Amino acid sequence: MTFVPRILIVDDEKRIRSGCVKMLTEDGFSATSAETAEAGLAIIKKEHFDIILLDLMMSGMSGLDALVQLRMLHPDTVVIVITGYATLEYSIEAMKRGAFDFIPKPFSPEDLRRVVQKAVEYIRTLQDIATESSRMRVLINHLSDGVLAVDSQKKIVLANPAVLKLTGYEGSAVIGRQLSDVVTCPDLISSLDQALGMPLEEFREIRGELNGLAVDSGEGTVIGVRCVPFRDRLGRTLGAVLVLHDITALKKIDQLKSHFVSMVAHEIRSPMNTVLAQIHILMDGLAGNVSEKQKEILGRCAEKVTSLAEMTTQLLDLAKIESGLTTGEREKLNLSELLLQQLSFHQDQAAHKKISLSAGPIARNLLVMANPYHLREVVANLLSNAIKYTPDGGCVIVSAIERNSYACIRVSDTGFGISSEDLKLIFNRFYRVKNENTRFIIGTGLGLSIVKSIVEAHQGRVVVESKLGRGSVFSVDLPLLLLEPSPPSAPDLCEKGRL
Amino acid sequence: MNAQTHILVVDDDPDLVEALAMKLASKNFRVTRAYDGVEAWEKIRADKPDLMILDVMMPRKNGYQLCDEIKADPQYKNIAVILLTAVADAVATTSYTHHDGKKTLADDYIPKPIDLDKLVSMVNDNL
Repeated sequence: MTFVPRILIVDDEKRIRSGCVKMLTEDGFSATSAETAEAGLAIIKKEHFDIILLDLMMSGMSGLDALVQLRMLHPDTVVIVITGYATLEYSIEAMKRGAFDFIPKPFSPEDLRRVVQKAVEYIRTLQDIATESSRMRVLINHLSDGVLAVDSQKKIVLANPAVLKLTGYEGSAVIGRQLSDVVTCPDLISSLDQALGMPLEEFREIRGELNGLAVDSGEGTVIGVRCVPFRDRLGRTLGAVLVLHDITALKKIDQLKSHFVSMVAHEIRSPMNTVLAQIHILMDGLAGNVSEKQKEILGRCAEKVTSLAEMTTQLLDLAKIESGLTTGEREKLNLSELLLQQLSFHQDQAAHKKISLSAGPIARNLLVMANPYHLREVVANLLSNAIKYTPDGGCVIVSAIERNSYACIRVSDTGFGISSEDLKLIFNRFYRVKNENTRFIIGTGLGLSIVKSIVEAHQGRVVVESKLGRGSVFSVDLPLLLLEPSPPSAPDLCEKGRL
Repeated sequence: MNAQTHILVVDDDPDLVEALAMKLASKNFRVTRAYDGVEAWEKIRADKPDLMILDVMMPRKNGYQLCDEIKADPQYKNIAVILLTAVADAVATTSYTHHDGKKTLADDYIPKPIDLDKLVSMVNDNL
């Protein structure tokens, strides 16, 4: 429905009243008139007008007095005063009392049209703002996420019911109050402080996770926190917005999943280990003579069970890593030594395929804070993958350097390479590249997702570059603990070449 | 090895105990069996073994507890203990134990799935 502004003309000159009504009606407005200020006030007590054209000089109540009453009754109504003699004083006085504009007598239809049009635009803008803010208010108040905004002085300018519930606040109106009166959790306050203090050239989201007790929303709840500054057109920080999201259910599901995986893996792995031992007893002839054919079949059984056992082990590892159980068990670890150990450990596997497995530059004493068992897992997975996915006679090179306080490990091979479609998926659980080259390679599809989980749990990152038919390079960056100074005469790198 | 060397195998899976016992018997060891930590103590008191192969996850009393009790007992602390650990348990035991020896006092460990020949050579090394 289009907006038809309603206009009331209050003037004691009949000619003006009828002229205005006629012209405005023709222009599509809904226009009514009144002869005196008293009559006009009586009309507007019954119905709402968007614009009132008010003559200042009338018999009875003066226009100026009527203006004051009008503004009290309908502060939203736009009043344009008609001045018989265009004295500056009267116009200024009228504007001071809340008139929007003035039009001096005598005026032409164009003069009237112009001043009314200006008022209509003003009303439309106000309406747009009101609609927008009402829509925003409804939207924000009905969000299940908590939203709170403060100004640069940390006074609350917006807080929806969800944020009050999540922070456990039970008092009265909070708008205009100081943040610290309402929010007690130091982590939330510090998030807002960080957002408010963010330098102009920077714009990022501050993220965090809080357990429910910290914000008074109950034991066992987990709250995701996000906080960003908001700025004016010149980039000055006006305040900051805090968004709280209850992620308890997600966390619980994740935990259940990990428990389930770990339970299944335990229950499956134990009997499999026993079965393996039993097969070996049979193969050794300890339970009676075994023919060559029987031995061969038992051997295959053992291989199958072994790979199943490996898969459950990996599943268990993944569940443990993902549930964060092991991230605490960290120690100072010499990554350079670990790499060299793993290089020599994998020489047999490489030799089996006549692959040259060698060390490129490996910086000495790259120290990281890490779980040694898990980092061995990372390096072992990358090396064994490189060997598995490189054809006989190829080569695999491992290097490690320091760069921007990260230890950067690179494992490059001259293998089959990975297509760009597969590249996006290789870190997904159970994903395996399937083509004519990889058909006979045994694997679970868990290795790389374990690598990724471990590396990320150590605040590191893993990336891969690859060209089909040329080979792949896996790079793992881990934050360095510190680089111990080496004697000035000693070369900074280990001897290059085969181990 | 002489037939007098006495090994106690402790695991809650009777089939695994049997398989290990068969392998060890084939190498001329004398083998006794127990299926949890409490029963193991009874067997130790009744007939002190030279070496024990001990599973970690067991009902009533787990392998770590049993191992610590044996190593704390002057009469029995000379019994060599080899722990059977599933790979995932190794996070808490093997890789750390062998560095600082704080978590368990076992003499050696072998991960599951068990390589029977490796177990035999480990038994010989620890006697």
